[in-house]
Amino acid sequence: MAPRVGCFLLAVLISASCKVATSSDPMCTEKEANKTYNCENLGLREIPDTLPNTTEFLEFGFNFLPAIQNITFSRLINLIFLDLTRCQINWVHEDTFQNHHQLNTIVLTGNPLIFMAETSLTGPKSLKHLFLTQTGISSLEFIPVHNLENLESLHLGSNCISSINLPENFPTQNLKVLDFQNNAIHYISSKDINALEQATNLSLNFNGNDIKGIEPGAFNSKIFQSLKFGGSLNLSVILKGLQNSTIQSLWLGTFEDTDDQDLTSATFEGLCDMAVESINLQKHHFGGFSPSTFRCFTRLQELDLTATHLTGLPSGIEGMNSLKKLVLNANSFDQLCQINAASFPSLTDLSVKGNRKKLDLGVRCLEKLENLQKLDLSHSDIEASDCCNLQLKNLPHLQYLNLSYNEPLGLEDQAFKECPWLELLDLAFTHLHVKPSQSPFQNLHLLRVLNLSHCLLDTSNRHLLEGLLDLRHLNVQGNHFQDGSLSKTNLLQTVSSLEILILSSCELLSIDQQAFHGLGKMSHLDLSHNSLTGDSMDALSPLKGIYLNLAANNIRIIPSHLLPTLSQQSTINLSHNPLDCTCSNIHFITWYKENLHKLEGSEETVCANPPPLRGVKLSDVKLSCGMTGMGIFFLVVFVFLLIVLLIFSVKFLLRWKYQHI
Amino acid sequence: MQVLMAAFLVCTLLSPQGRGGEAWPTHTACRDESLQVLYQSCDALQDFGLSVDQCLKQVKPNINIRFGIILREDIKELFLDIALFSKGLSILNFSYPICEVDQPKFSFCGRRKGEQISYAGPVYNSGFEIPEGEYQVLLQLYTQDRSTVACANATILCS
Repeated sequence: MAPRVGCFLLAVLISASCKVATSSDPMCTEKEANKTYNCENLGLREIPDTLPNTTEFLEFGFNFLPAIQNITFSRLINLIFLDLTRCQINWVHEDTFQNHHQLNTIVLTGNPLIFMAETSLTGPKSLKHLFLTQTGISSLEFIPVHNLENLESLHLGSNCISSINLPENFPTQNLKVLDFQNNAIHYISSKDINALEQATNLSLNFNGNDIKGIEPGAFNSKIFQSLKFGGSLNLSVILKGLQNSTIQSLWLGTFEDTDDQDLTSATFEGLCDMAVESINLQKHHFGGFSPSTFRCFTRLQELDLTATHLTGLPSGIEGMNSLKKLVLNANSFDQLCQINAASFPSLTDLSVKGNRKKLDLGVRCLEKLENLQKLDLSHSDIEASDCCNLQLKNLPHLQYLNLSYNEPLGLEDQAFKECPWLELLDLAFTHLHVKPSQSPFQNLHLLRVLNLSHCLLDTSNRHLLEGLLDLRHLNVQGNHFQDGSLSKTNLLQTVSSLEILILSSCELLSIDQQAFHGLGKMSHLDLSHNSLTGDSMDALSPLKGIYLNLAANNIRIIPSHLLPTLSQQSTINLSHNPLDCTCSNIHFITWYKENLHKLEGSEETVCANPPPLRGVKLSDVKLSCGMTGMGIFFLVVFVFLLIVLLIFSVKFLLRWKYQHI
Repeated sequence: MQVLMAAFLVCTLLSPQGRGGEAWPTHTACRDESLQVLYQSCDALQDFGLSVDQCLKQVKPNINIRFGIILREDIKELFLDIALFSKGLSILNFSYPICEVDQPKFSFCGRRKGEQISYAGPVYNSGFEIPEGEYQVLLQLYTQDRSTVACANATILCS
């Protein structure tokens, strides 16, 4: 008997230790106190008791809930967003969300649903978004229609749906997005589309369905916000089927892994009988151009020909007068003139980004585009020695110019004289050659944003930024300064209207005390990833109420006379600095704890010195400098012993004296 | 003793699974006389499947692969980072966009968190020959906010 009892006790002990082990399971992470929680990938079988009743946003994906019912979420009645992605849900029983009046989004993606009860979605007063992606649905009758009156988006992608015919009583009046991606829809009938009659401004997504036929007249006088037929093999069938419809945006692109047929003028015939504002034909092949290829494009406002294997556009395209936006990204032009821009006189927005060949800007190639406001020529291997007045000839209304990620550009004096209305200029990661003491941006009085990051600038040229009277945002990240020092007279002194300045990763060792004088409007200063020390902070004294990023520098000790400078800023980031946590930095550490509300990245603001405190968060450091308690104790004991010794020696001395009288 | 055994069993069953502690198994993506490609998932959360159609030292352009995974993130934007090492030295690093908002290159772009995807098709590489030796490759697929979609430590053995 006794060994049995012992065994039993041991078993109880083991299972007790087992309990301890399970209760130390990973917990949900709190993203916003009492409101937003993430419990993904925890293998949970129920809602943990640790979640507060006030939870509103709950990410509960990748757990295990084979059946969900009335009691599953009954405690969390304030739920607004509930993500149940891939929880192996088979059953959604009746009244599951009965008490969740505020619930607005339910995500059931990737669950092998067998059945949803008739009242499984009733309860929420305004259920707006329902995700039933990849849930094995083959018929729309599967979806319980009760309480879908407020539905704005319904996601039914990656199922086995072959017909979009909604059940007769399916409410569509508020529906804005209906997503049928990657199903098996091959035919769209008039009846299917008529069932969507009540929806206004609807966006329908048929990407990844090979549409082989549309009933003639199915889309007659119908209005859509957007229609997507991505990856469809036969565009002419689709365009004929859309006869007499009005569509804001039509996406007809294809993909690398999809076979496609060459586009000819016959393909686009259907386009003549419909009203489309914007069309996307990415990755298609044009089987040669004829004068009639673009015959039906005359009413278009936006045309996207990304990666359509173009080496040029034919000259003399007629009737594209109303085109406002043209995207020619990822094609293979040799020279910008090959786009024959004169065919698109109304263009306001042109993008030739990521050209597959070295793009020569040529001379006056865009001069007919008098209305152009936005021009993106980034990532196109552009190289030019004298930029950019001849290249950008006659672009008086240009406001946005992106020349980032190109080969070296030589900027002449007043390089952008042809586009005086520029508001944003992006030259990031393009090496710039500017002759000494020239001012390439001289006449850009309206420029507000200038990105010069990693441009290998000659920062000793004090005239570099001259003429930028209204510059608010300047990024000079990754440029280097002479001797690693921002001196008293520097290139920033001509841009006094600056509000945001990025000087990160500039290998700065020091900043002169006067360097930021005259930059009184500054509200955001990023000095991160340099090698600055506490002494450089003198330069910050003219700045007040700014966001100051000093992360990843070489700051060890901040002298106490600099603390008022820090105090007058609104937010400070001092993370990733080798901060000293000894008594020589006690004033700063005390200040730090008093100003925690102003500090950003406090999790990564840790001590580097002394070794025992390495890696400890600055906010957790407890230092007592001056006399410690232990020291006082020993001193008291010492003094006490001294007194005792004195008394004894006096006593001894007196006794000795008396004995010898 | 039976009770003890039962308790032990219950305990092992109840205790949390050794996630993170155990590594995913090493799979063979392809194997031939002179070339062998092995890989192991370095995503703590899940494994994935990959096979390469032809295993030749002289890599042909546009080789076909088969790839299967459960998405842990929406892939409206998806990027691939490749880092190639030999004998501990870095030889090559590059980053390549697979799905972008303004250019979804593949038909699976835009699929959602929780979806299972399987891709069988070309990878649009150029042809090249693999010199003899052993190579380590780190492949990472991630989204615009740097969340991992897939991570693989691969070894290429070429003789």
